[in-house]
Amino acid sequence: MPSDDYIPRTQTEVLGLRRIVVALTVAALSLSLVPGALAQEDRVVLIVGLTQNWDTLNPNAGYLVSEWEVWTLQYSGLTTFDNDLEIAPDLAESWVGSDDGLTWTYTLREGLLWSDGTPLTADDIVWNIETSIEQEWWNHIETTENLTAVATDDRTVVVTSAVPDPNLPSLSFLVFPRHIWEPVATDADTAATYDALDGVGSGPYVLQEYRPSQSVTMVANPNWSGWEGSDPGVDEIVFRYFGNADAMVSALQRGDIDAANIPGSAVATLENDPNIEVVAGFQGGWEQIAINGGMGAMEPHPAMMDREVRRAMAYAVDTQAIVEDLWYGNGEEIHVINPSINPKWTPEVDPSLQFAYNPATANEILDNAGYRDTNNDGVREMPDGTNPLRIRHIVNTNTDLGQSIGELFAGWMEAIGIEVELVALDSDQTGTVIAEGDYDTFHWGWTPSNNPSGMLSVFISDEIEAWNDANWYDERLDALYEAQRIELDEAARISQVHEAVSIFTEAVIYIGMVSGAELNAYRSDRFEGWVRQPTDDGPIMFTMSSPSYALLQPVAAEPAPTTTVPGTDTTAPGSATTAPTGTTPADDGGGANWLLIGGLAAAVAAVTALIVSRRRSEDERE
Amino acid sequence: MVCFNFFLFRIVQTDPLAHMFRGRNIPRELQENLRAAFGLDQPLFTQFLYYLRETFTLNLGVSYHSRQPVWSEIMARLPATLALLGSSALLAGIFGTMGGIVAAWRRNTWKDRFITSGTMVFYSLPDFWLGMLLLVGFSVVLGWLPIGGMGTIGVTLTGLPAVLDYLKHLTLPAMTLTIAYLGEYALVTRSSLLEVMSEDYLTVARAKGLRDRVVRNRHALPNALLPVVTLAALNLGFILSGAIAVEAVFSWPGLGQATAQAIRGPDFPMLQGLFLLFSASVILFNLFADVLYLYLDPRVEEV
Repeated sequence: MPSDDYIPRTQTEVLGLRRIVVALTVAALSLSLVPGALAQEDRVVLIVGLTQNWDTLNPNAGYLVSEWEVWTLQYSGLTTFDNDLEIAPDLAESWVGSDDGLTWTYTLREGLLWSDGTPLTADDIVWNIETSIEQEWWNHIETTENLTAVATDDRTVVVTSAVPDPNLPSLSFLVFPRHIWEPVATDADTAATYDALDGVGSGPYVLQEYRPSQSVTMVANPNWSGWEGSDPGVDEIVFRYFGNADAMVSALQRGDIDAANIPGSAVATLENDPNIEVVAGFQGGWEQIAINGGMGAMEPHPAMMDREVRRAMAYAVDTQAIVEDLWYGNGEEIHVINPSINPKWTPEVDPSLQFAYNPATANEILDNAGYRDTNNDGVREMPDGTNPLRIRHIVNTNTDLGQSIGELFAGWMEAIGIEVELVALDSDQTGTVIAEGDYDTFHWGWTPSNNPSGMLSVFISDEIEAWNDANWYDERLDALYEAQRIELDEAARISQVHEAVSIFTEAVIYIGMVSGAELNAYRSDRFEGWVRQPTDDGPIMFTMSSPSYALLQPVAAEPAPTTTVPGTDTTAPGSATTAPTGTTPADDGGGANWLLIGGLAAAVAAVTALIVSRRRSEDERE
Repeated sequence: MVCFNFFLFRIVQTDPLAHMFRGRNIPRELQENLRAAFGLDQPLFTQFLYYLRETFTLNLGVSYHSRQPVWSEIMARLPATLALLGSSALLAGIFGTMGGIVAAWRRNTWKDRFITSGTMVFYSLPDFWLGMLLLVGFSVVLGWLPIGGMGTIGVTLTGLPAVLDYLKHLTLPAMTLTIAYLGEYALVTRSSLLEVMSEDYLTVARAKGLRDRVVRNRHALPNALLPVVTLAALNLGFILSGAIAVEAVFSWPGLGQATAQAIRGPDFPMLQGLFLLFSASVILFNLFADVLYLYLDPRVEEV
């Protein structure tokens, strides 16, 4: 009976378990007390939080706003946009046009250098234009497809357009460094699969490090040619991805980050913080309830094709309620689409087309048009007494407000005798049914670009079954669209665009339109000098040319805590000729990962071995 | 499994390219070229055959989103997921089993009720919600731990500070998953141990005059832990699929987040690659559990 033998051993075993528990708890607690930073360094770091991830940093493969912000900083164009979205010099300091407006001669700034010290010449520009056409770079082709370019000397480029192009002389396409890209982008495929982490550019900041799903770090370009009066006060910009918007807002409040694009729900909290400024900026984008115009592949409920019904529906939608309740007041009701970010392209709206919420008027219109509820079931029928007005509204589950707006819309329609069935689909499926015309109404939105052609093209007959999400067209609009594409006189072009937009507005296809603000927030105790684009009411980040970053200065009184960095200074930008080189995805986090994984694997192996060996030893004893 | 993965994602009738083009004015010709480059102009069956051929040669294809090989995209995110899910699985296993032992041995006492109901509550909570609560508590209110991510941004750390910084970031997500999965281990251990405790051989052991602890640790536990080992092995198989919601809450750059990102689009090659990996790991660890049984359970050897 070996009981005496057993007792101390079991006690140690139990003690052993307790020790593990205690040790783990102590380790966890002590970990939380380790200070984050250990030493100081004079590097000014701006950290911007965002909730959109990056797919790639190659402009020939990506298209997301998060990616554009990086490219806009790294790659200058021949021209850029000033704060009012008008053409401004960038790599080119001046330009002269020919009489027919087809040929433009650009003069580059003197002494341009890429961030790695290589001279930037007219050859770079010509190579970009020619290669973007040949290899179909998808963010360039829209601008360059009709162009030919010749370098007459190192600083002069002559660009000729095969067709009259009213966008010229604006050429803001991203100019890639030929000496880096030519060896890697040998055809369309390699141009898109190149990882583009070289970190060589001509803009104010260039890529230093990319950690997928975590962060993008950019450093000041020592060779940047600069804009008038700008002297970048930020050495390093870090874009930090958050999988969770609430966590990002907390990080801003805590001072972990300096600025962020925030959700509407966070505005009330942040506005009470004395160190945080909230900026509501407009860039022309809007959301609408779109009615099927009935000219697509499939037909909607016949009532949708009657403009009187559409007018009644417009009166029945309480757009102000959407602004107040769903946008928390951070939006505005609009009555006409914005074909461009630049407000000069948006026409005035006739008061008769501004449908202020009035269900009584809506009911009256339907009564007069003969849509009556003949069987008293609460739902109106067609004027011939058949086909009750039961419609299908598509809720795009990938939009923030889709579900709420769908429910509100159903209620508003019920009040005027139209029954709404809500159909929930994701963005991709919604896009498919819209192209097929297989819906009565849906809620979604558009964000226009600077050039009004893109937005107008949505509503032309050629785009039916493709981009035309109105499933409606008008030959007059088709003609105006074609005319404005080649109209070189800006005043004439503006009036053509205004007329085209007005024709669309008269059709009453989009109702309940809200232009939602993009909400930026920044810590006013860290950096100052943020500028809006457009000047009056635009956002301060993620804009057309994002001019803020190069203009920021740290707030003098208190050095930003984000500048506390430990130890070495190896990451500081070098002299004018040494390049801040881009690196491959970071491996320090990864290294710690592998360390931990190794430990875990060892632990699992040890436990397994222990169990097996104990089993064996018991077997042997038996 | 390989075939299933291909058709699973094609059931949804969506065009991966439509997503890329939305809101952009791209020449029709270029759209067609891209469609051809992705092989989307081919009939579904041709796409399938191509997929089979490439999968068997371990070519998982190129992601539609990043245009990088799927294999390297997955490998870049694998360590983060292994570290997070591995550490929480280990901790949940250890603490859950210990809790289950105490609960069974002291059944119907306050300890039992505390452990059983406590772990059940946490097991029933949605893990992302638990994560949000912990985030608010430890990061926002107390400010002890960082708000998500895998490392402090904007600083360059090396050596021990880097490891400590990393562990600080790991603490909250790992704690969330540990707490969430404690219940599973505790309940399985408890019921299995209770079953063993009614066996005659334990009465014999007690009759021999052995101490309570000896009876528990040397006689009852080895048999009671068999189902727990199975559970642990099965859970290890699911480690790779990550914790989509928890990774999102804590911005942890692992495979769970990659999966969520790939569904937007959809990025077929990436989804297929991920699910191939997930299914392979489940199958592998099931096999591991079976083999482990050979050693643990003498009865299996006889078969």
